[in-house]
Order: sequence, then structure tokens, then C-alpha cells
Amino acid sequence: MMSFARYIARGELARALDDMARGRVAYAPRREGDAVVFRPRAEGEEPLLARATVPPKGVIFPQSERLFAFIREKDPNDPGRTTVRLDSTVDIEPALIFGGRPCDARGFHIFDRVYLNGPYRDPYYAARREATVVVTLACTKAGSTCFCHWTGCGPADATGSDILLTPVGGGDEGGFVAMAVTERGCAVLEQANLPEADAARMDAAQAVHAATQAALDAQSPAPDLSATPARLLERFSDADFWRDMSDKCLSCGACTYLCPTCYCFNITDENDGGDGMRGRRLRSWDNCMSSLFTREASGHNPRMGKALRLRNRVGHKFSYYPQLHEGVVSCNGCGRCITGCPVSVDIREMVVRATQANEETPNA
Amino acid sequence: MPVLKGKELRVVGFLCNWCSYGGADTAGVGRFSQPTDLRIIRVPCSGRVDPMFVVKALLGGADGVLVSGCHPRDCHYSQGNFYARRRLETLKTFLPALGIDPDRFQYTWVSASEGQRWKNVVSTFVEKVHQLGHAPRIEEAAPYLPLAEKGDTLPAPLRPLAWPAAGTLTASLEQLREKIRAALPELDCVIGWQQGFDALHATPLFMRKPEDVDKLTWGPLNVHNLATYLPQFKNRKVGVVVKGCDSRSVIELLQEKLVEPDNVRVFGMACEGVVDVERVRKAMEPAEGAACTDVAPAAVAVEGDGLAFEGDTPVRLKLADVVAEKCRTCDTPVPLLGDVVEGNASAPAGPGPDAPPSLEALDAMTPEQRRGFWRAQMDRCLRCYACRNACPMCVCRDHCIAESRDPHWTTQEGNVREKLQFQVIHALHLAGRCTECGECQRACPVNIPVLALKQWMNRSVLTLFDYRAGVDVNAVPPLLAFAVEEKNIKEHGL
Amino acid sequence: MPDAITPQAGVHATTLGTGFTDNPYLPDVATVLETVQETPAIKTLRVRIDDPARMESFRFNPGQVGQLSLFGVGESTFVINSPPTRMDYLQFSIMRAGEVTAALHGLKPGDKVGVRAPLGNWFPYEDMRGKDIVFVGGGIGMAPLRTLLLYMLDNRADYGNITLLYGARTPTDMAFRDDVQEWLGRSDMQTTLTVDQAPEDWPHRAGLIPHVLLDLAPSNANSVAVLCGPPIMIKFTVEALKKLHFADEQIYTTLERRMKCGIGICGRCNIGTKYVCVDGPVFTYAELKDLPNEL
Ligand SMILES: Cc1cc2nc3c(=O)[nH]c(=O)nc-3n(C[C@H](O)[C@H](O)[C@H](O)COP(=O)(O)OP(=O)(O)OC[C@H]3O[C@@H](n4cnc5c(N)ncnc54)[C@H](O)[C@@H]3O)c2cc1C
Ligand code: SF4
Ligand code: SF4
Ligand code: SF4
Ligand code: SF4
Ligand code: FES
Repeated sequence: MMSFARYIARGELARALDDMARGRVAYAPRREGDAVVFRPRAEGEEPLLARATVPPKGVIFPQSERLFAFIREKDPNDPGRTTVRLDSTVDIEPALIFGGRPCDARGFHIFDRVYLNGPYRDPYYAARREATVVVTLACTKAGSTCFCHWTGCGPADATGSDILLTPVGGGDEGGFVAMAVTERGCAVLEQANLPEADAARMDAAQAVHAATQAALDAQSPAPDLSATPARLLERFSDADFWRDMSDKCLSCGACTYLCPTCYCFNITDENDGGDGMRGRRLRSWDNCMSSLFTREASGHNPRMGKALRLRNRVGHKFSYYPQLHEGVVSCNGCGRCITGCPVSVDIREMVVRATQANEETPNA
Repeated sequence: MPVLKGKELRVVGFLCNWCSYGGADTAGVGRFSQPTDLRIIRVPCSGRVDPMFVVKALLGGADGVLVSGCHPRDCHYSQGNFYARRRLETLKTFLPALGIDPDRFQYTWVSASEGQRWKNVVSTFVEKVHQLGHAPRIEEAAPYLPLAEKGDTLPAPLRPLAWPAAGTLTASLEQLREKIRAALPELDCVIGWQQGFDALHATPLFMRKPEDVDKLTWGPLNVHNLATYLPQFKNRKVGVVVKGCDSRSVIELLQEKLVEPDNVRVFGMACEGVVDVERVRKAMEPAEGAACTDVAPAAVAVEGDGLAFEGDTPVRLKLADVVAEKCRTCDTPVPLLGDVVEGNASAPAGPGPDAPPSLEALDAMTPEQRRGFWRAQMDRCLRCYACRNACPMCVCRDHCIAESRDPHWTTQEGNVREKLQFQVIHALHLAGRCTECGECQRACPVNIPVLALKQWMNRSVLTLFDYRAGVDVNAVPPLLAFAVEEKNIKEHGL
Repeated sequence: MPDAITPQAGVHATTLGTGFTDNPYLPDVATVLETVQETPAIKTLRVRIDDPARMESFRFNPGQVGQLSLFGVGESTFVINSPPTRMDYLQFSIMRAGEVTAALHGLKPGDKVGVRAPLGNWFPYEDMRGKDIVFVGGGIGMAPLRTLLLYMLDNRADYGNITLLYGARTPTDMAFRDDVQEWLGRSDMQTTLTVDQAPEDWPHRAGLIPHVLLDLAPSNANSVAVLCGPPIMIKFTVEALKKLHFADEQIYTTLERRMKCGIGICGRCNIGTKYVCVDGPVFTYAELKDLPNEL
């Protein structure tokens, strides 16, 4: 399967996508109002190549989903009693995600470690992940909030993808080098009946990767974050530091819901109708910036204020998760939390400042 | 026995216990024939009817909602129905914003002895609802997404927009900094702005030490309304720098006693308009649609009525083309209160309220298009609640009913109905309180035009009660007051 | 995006398991056999999983918890406070605190609940063999102790001296009355009861748990102490144990954290790198001291 690469001419892209997505629902970026979101793509539709405002994580981890339905039935022998039946049927559509960026695709890898390889396997996530082919578009530009190269991700990182597309050449002359990086990616790419990418085009793709990487390095050289997990723990009780970092935070959930790696959820029950005979258990996105996330029935909340909640967000991404996952940070440097934050809280700044040795020793 | 031919519809009636419920009873005892479509919910008083009851019923599939209470001057609790009248009338004028036919909702008065009248009221209303037929569901409307709002060219501002020459601006800013440094010792902190992660983005600055004050910036990039932070400083003294529009939020907070006058120092600066960052992004990278591809100017210079962006591709934009919608007509460029007001105190004011472009756009739609519009817009809502948390008047925050289970207004389902329901809650809770600072919409990470709902509501409040929020610290908000004879409310003749 | 809310029956319909063993979010349906109103605020439910095979093969260790649910209301975490040595039913004792607990209090025999269990870690009862055990429970904190205590009483020969100190605010707040009566009568364990506010006719101790504990002064030699109760009680009881020269490693307690999934995925119950639902709820005091200070 080594270096299985094909070439897609610019004018062929829509057709190639149709073929790759045969039998699947293809999600691609679409402009809605002033945002770009992933939506099912119509056959033949020319895909938008812009980076989406919201990552495609919802395709595999929906904003809300039914874990099961419950159906109560009156016991025919004893009308005073009811029995309960649970229905865990879900719709798992074969899908394809086109046009996510490397930081988006790597998000699924961050999920996989928790949802597939933790103490329990999450069957809902597993089924959707299994059914979804990820076709990623390598980046050609460094946005002002991009810092993937700090985090182990990068503009051509294929982690979490099945196929990586790299734009080469310009205008109508140009096209994409499509590299399959998984068996499944090979099979899907085969369906599109494309010419092999020749050496010149492979070189061109390499050059694009290198150029973007260089642009990122020029914009912000990657700092050494090897000490960050420990430093964040040292900072844990430094109340002034976290107050300074969180002063302007509004404690909304924009940063986490825009984040390709944030995987937290809530579970709630809903009744259908007023008699309690039918209903469902839902899981829905949740996030550690919300007070309710940790508020206990007694009213006690271990993360009472926004400073403590922000500390968890940064801590989880750059300290706890890497400690549990062989140093992998659960941030891919996509910068969405920075651009999407209504008050521009900047995770880069927090991580760098937490990492810097502190003259005034934190009052741990 | 149904009086009306055809299929039953779902009509919900909220009846006050003391009068209308009795009236319905009298009608029943009198064996007046009535339509059977009505499902009655008894409430202690029409004043207990939260407009959300009505909205939730309508969004949830009711074809009509009727509220009935004691006649004016006859309320068991003496005034409940007077307050109800204001709230329900406000709601009625708001429903069309969602594409809901206002005729699907009525409120009226029926006393316990008026069995005949009750029969007439119900029959008339139910007949009306039958004429309208089944209520169309918003989540089933055909998505309607006219051109991206901010992609359209903005109508010319109705006031001149020109920042003072760079030198003058710096001089005013330096004076402001002096005043803040002087006040800092007695304050917990002073909230202002500094440059954010790139030259286009400012970010809130919390000044605690004198050297922090050096970072303070002033100009058209200071988009945030910092009044939002004030309530969290309960019982602490805090300073805040405001633009004209922001000062109205401070006034509203003071009026509602959400901040203590003794605990807040207001530093005001006259304003010539702030940018809409989204518009700037678009203007700078018109090709390939820049929704999220960042534009990072190396520097931004204010040049009177324009902005010069330096960087790979230097651009000069006219402020008028990229200004926030609210600034076009702003009639309070100079803060309405402030211990210190700096800058050009004679900054020219605009004409004040008019129909802002996004409200005009909503006005121009048919009800069906409006339903399709909200369906299409709310679909991408993340339920992040940035709109709520950025709102200076949304002070419940961690205790907001959007997430509570008791009361259980919304579920956690990621569907259009639940999402829109929260936007309606926000608009209703802001009725008569919203100063139209636009923070909700600016904060929205997926750019949903949620401000339009508040603009609609503000217009209703202005029309009905001749009231604007955030102008007078001592004013009584219209929904906390009533008049025995309402000037602008016509009874709806049921 | 797939509308995951409406019941699915399309071509891609997939059934994800039939119970907790093959889908960790899917409860086993169980039936309430018996209820006991322990105190005004605490109610005990004894339940059996409906599927006989599943009930038959159900294994757990003392200290492990279950997610008990009332369909349509929600799910909450409770320790299985019956011991693994008595498998006629699984017992949960529920203090009324909020939405789910209030609803659980309304259950009667025959009603259906959902159970996802066992979850979490347990008291290292095997390592405790041969040692003297000091149990200190406050209020509903008696529940996790009960399972371990009963296990040890059912394997009495394996353990040394057993001391129990159980405290509540008032005598009416004491749960597990029948058990407590039995324990008081047993000669192979030492049982002390205390209440904060004692009425005239109260034959036991009065006073706060840490004070009474200092009075009892159990020896630390070859001992472990197991504490459960409200955070403030834990704090002062640990101080008392330190005065009695218990080492951090000799002190066990359980942590509480808002929980949802119970399986280490939903993300809310962490303290630093530890997820209370899978790495806890049982921790030694030594382990607690290593955690970031976020209790
Ligand atoms: C490991 C562990 C063991 C426990 N054992 C017992 C026990 O044996 N007996 C007992 O009475 N209580 C026990 N609790 C506490 C019990 O779980 C909460 O009191 C209960 O979840 C409150 O639910 P509620 O719906 O009534 O409260 P609400 O305030 O309405 O909470 C809503 C939901 O939030 C979650 N939640 C809120 N508070 C807590 C909390 N403190 N812990 C976990 N989840 C919470 C639950 O999912 C709950 O349903 C235990 C908690 C933990 C973490
Ligand atoms: S960091 Fe920004 S986006 Fe995140 S919670 Fe705070 S204000 Fe909201
Ligand atoms: S940062 Fe917060 S919301 Fe995101 S995955 Fe971590 S704990 Fe969950
Ligand atoms: S933490 Fe921020 S930068 Fe990192 S992956 Fe998440 S959204 Fe992107
Ligand atoms: S800010 Fe936007 S995405 Fe977030 S809840 Fe409000 S409308 Fe929805
Ligand atoms: S309860 Fe979900 S991770 Fe612990």
C-alpha cells in the first residue's frame, strides 16, 4: 500500500469525489450565511475549498444523538405494572468527509484514543468512525491563528485521515495529488479511476508541504513544550495566573464546540409526550467551560469560577491528556478557539506563559 | 360536539383560575356548544402566563394559543392582568419575526359569569385558527438563505464617520490613560482594550498595575462592550472604558440595580464607529470566500474616515464600508454617562432608531421565508451560548434556564426548534432591556444574525411603549409597569 | 447531519447491543424488589436485573458503583452497598439531593429501573486481609462502607479487629438501622455511634466524628482506616487519624464528582489525570495528596 498516489485535475475534482463517495453521504464545506460548515454534498456539486468555521467532528460525533429509546408497556397480566423495553437502534450511514484540514482529521485520532482505546469502547462513535472515510485537504497557507506545527500536527499531517489531498499547480492548470494513507483510503481512491501521480507531481506536493511548513515556522517558531505538562501542574494553584488568563473569558462554550479535539458530552433523558411511556436518552455536546459540567447536587462545584474552568481546558489539552497518551497533546493548533472566541482568548499565549519558568514561584 | 367541521386542531388555552376558568365552567354548565379543539390549562392569574408558555406551545406544534384572564380592573390580584396585557401584546407583535402568524395567538378577558361570552370567544378564536389551518413547523420550512448578510453592501451611514487625525486621537488617549492611572489605586481594576492576537483584533484588557495602562488602545477596533463584565465585580470597585453605545448598557445595569453606582467608575470616550471584523475580513480577501481563512494585517492605521491595512497586500478601506451596522445610525456617539468623558465631545450623532438593514431584510420576507430563514440559520447553531454570555444584560449566566432541567424549557437536542427556542427566550428576556449593542451577534462564532430578533423586539417596545432601554437610569422599564388605559394597545376584539 | 433523534428504521439501522455488557451506555433493565425508608432523606432500593443469566453472572467488588436510572428522568451514581457475598439483590441507598434522586425516592416494588454496573475501582479488600480495619462513616457515607464491612463480616476469619464509628447529625438521620442493631450486638467487632445533636434518651456518643475517633484512639499498627462522608468530615477525620499516627497509605476514602458516562469518556469527573469514574472512587490519602488540589 506504500505511496499509493493519484492525480486529480482541478476540473475533475467534483467527478472524482462523486466516485469516491459512491454509496456514501459525502460531507463537504458549504457556506451558510457568514460561516462555512460541513453539509451533505449533492452529486456533481463543486466543493468549496475554504477552511470551515466549524470542524467536521459532528459527522462522527453528532451535536446530539439518541443513545436509546425506552418504551414502557403495561403488563397484560398486571395492569398496575409496566415493563420497559430499550431500543438501541441507530442509523449509521456510510459517509465521507471531504475538505477537512489536517488539524480536523487529527481530531479524530484524539477521539480514537479515548473512545476506542480507553477502558471502554464507545459503540456509537466506533460505528460512525468505522463507516466514515476521511479525505483531507493539506494546507497551503498559514492563517494568523494557525499553530499546528507547535502541537505535533502540521499542514500535511495525515493522522486520522484516509486520504490526503495536496493542491499542486495553480488555477485551471492545477490539481491535487491524492495520497491514500489507509487501506480503506486506497479502496476509495481506486473507485475514482484516476491517473497515477507522477514523480514531478509528487515532488510538487512535497514542495507545497515544505512551503507551508516554512511559512508557519516563519510566522511563529514552535516553542519547546516538553516541560508544559509539568509546568501546568505547578501552576495549578497559582490563582493570580489563572485570574489573569481568564479575566476576559466569558465562560461560553464556543472554544470547545469549535475544537476538533474536544470530546466531552452530557447525558440527559427526555420524555416523548406527557405520560412518561416513551422517551429517549440523549447524549449531547458538553464542555468544561460550563458551570453545570461539574456542579454537584449539593451545590458544591469543584470548578466554581471561570478561572478554574479555563485551567481545566488548558490543563486537559496540554497536561493531562498528554500524560495519559504518550505525550500527544489534545490540541492540533487549528486556532479556531482563538478566532471563534468572542473576546480573543488565545490558547497559545496561555500555554507559552504557563510554560515559561516563573520568577515569582507559584504559591503551590 | 365539535361546532366546526373538519379535523380538530391543537389549540391551547391558558385560563386564569378566578375568572376565565369559571367562565368556561359556566359555559359548560349552561350547555353552550363549544368547539372541542381547546385544551385548557388552568393558571392562577393571566399574569402568571410567561410568554414562553405561548412560544413553547407554538413551536411545539400547537395551532393556536388563547390566554384569557379577568377583565381589566377585575384581577383577583388586582394588577396581574395589566402586566399580562403588556407582555402578551409585546409577544403578539414579536411572533411574526419568527414567521408565526400572530392570529394564532390571542389574549382576552372573560369573567366567571360570562358563559355566553366564553362560548363566543372560543368559537371565534377556534374558527380563526381553522381558517389558518395546521400551523406550519419551522423545522420543516424550506431553508431560505438569502445572500450572506454582510456580503451585501451596507447602505451608507446616516452620520459622518471620521476619527480625529492620528495625533489628536493619541492625545485624547493619553489623557484617558492619565485619568485611569490616577483612579487605579482605589479600584480593583479598570477594563479597557488592547491589541489582540493580530492587528485587526482588539481584546479586553484588565488593568491592575499602572504599567498595564500603557497597553490601552482606543479606536475603531474596540468592538467589545465591556459593560458585560461589570456584574461579576459585585461589591468591588471597578472602572470601565465605554463607547457611547456601551454607556447605555451601563445605564441599564444601573437602572436594574445589577451594578452599584458607588462601585463603578465609567471612563467614556467619544466614538466614531467601530468596525465589523467580519466585513473587514471579507473586504480584504474577497476571493475564495474568507470565512475562516484568516487575514492578518501587519498593522492597521486609522486615517480619518478610512483604515489602512499594512501587510502582504496593503489595503485601504473606507470606514463606512466596514463599520458595524449599529454605528450607521448611532445617536449616542458620546457616552451618556461617565465620570470622565474624553475625546471629541461633539462627535456627530446619527438620527437614532431606524430600521437597520438586517431588520429591513427580515421585514421584506414572507412569513414562510422567515421560517425558512430561521431554520437555515439556526441549523448551524452550536448551542455554545456565546450570544448569551456576551450580552451585558444576560446576568443569569450559570443559572440560565436554557440549560436547567427545572424548569425544563429546552432539551439538549441539537435541533432547530430547541436552538430557536433559546433565541426566543433571549429576545423575550431582553424585551425593554436590550440596548442593541449587538454583542450577541458579534460573539456568535458561526455568525448567526440573532440580533435581528432583538431589533424586532426593540421596535415593538418603541412602538408600543415609546421606550428605549439604556437612556435614563431612573426610567421604569415598560414591562415592569402598566397603564390602566394603554395608549398603544388595542384590544383584539374577541 | 443525520438526525439522530427520530427513532431510526432506515436501511442503515444498526442495533448497538442489548445491555451493559455489550454497550456500556445501555442499562440492564432491573426491577425494584423492596424499598426501605432509612431516614427522611435516604431511601434504600433493592433491585434485581431482569435477565436471569445476567443477574447470575453479575460480579463486582466492594466499593464499585452503579449508574441507576429512571427512564425519562435520568441517571445517577450510587455505590452498590450490598456485598458481593450476598447476591440475592443489588442494594443502593439514595439520599435525596436533586432531580433523579427525588424521582428514585418515589419508586415502589415492581417498578423498573436501569442499572449500569459495576463501574469504577474498589477497596483493595484482598490487600487488607490480616489487618485491623477502622471504618469511619458520616451520613450517607455509610453506604460504601457497608458493602466492605459486610464482605469482611462474611469472611470474618480473614481480617483482624474491626472497628466501626458511624456518625449522623441526629438519631433520625442514621441509616441501616437493622444492620446497626446487629453490629452493636456482635462481639467480633466494635461499633460506636455518634450524633451531632443528641436527645436525652440517646444511649450512644454525642459529638463530632473526629473528636469521638480521637477518643476511641484505634491503633495504627497493622491497620487501615476507611472513611466516607461529607468533605468537611473527611478533612477533620484525616487530621485526627494523622494524630493517631496513621500513614497516608493506611487511609482510604472515596471521592465524589458529578458523573455522567461513568466509563471515562464524557470528560467531566477528572482531577488532573485521574477520572474518578474509572480510576476511583476509591483513593488512598497518599494518592489524594498527589492529585491537583481541585476537590
Ligand atoms: C462514586 C459516587 C458514589 C456515590 N454513591 C452514592 C450513594 O451511595 N448514595 C447516595 O445517596 N449518593 C451517592 N453519590 C452521590 C449521587 O450520585 C448524587 O447525589 C446524585 O447523582 C444526585 O443526582 P440528582 O439527579 O438527584 O441531582 P441533580 O443536582 O439534579 O443532578 C443532575 C445530575 O448530575 C449528576 N450529579 C449531580 N451531582 C452528582 C454527584 N454528587 N455525584 C455524581 N453525579 C452527580 C448526576 O448525573 C445527576 O443525575 C455518589 C456519587 C459518586 C460520584
Ligand atoms: S475562552 Fe472564549 S470561547 Fe472559550 S469560554 Fe472563554 S470566552 Fe468563550
Ligand atoms: S478541554 Fe474541556 S471540553 Fe475539551 S476535551 Fe478537554 S475537558 Fe473536554
Ligand atoms: S485547542 Fe484550539 S487550537 Fe487547539 S485544536 Fe482545539 S480549537 Fe484548535
Ligand atoms: S453564539 Fe451563535 S452558535 Fe452560539 S448559541 Fe448563540 S446563536 Fe448559537
Ligand atoms: S463520568 Fe464521564 S468521564 Fe467520568
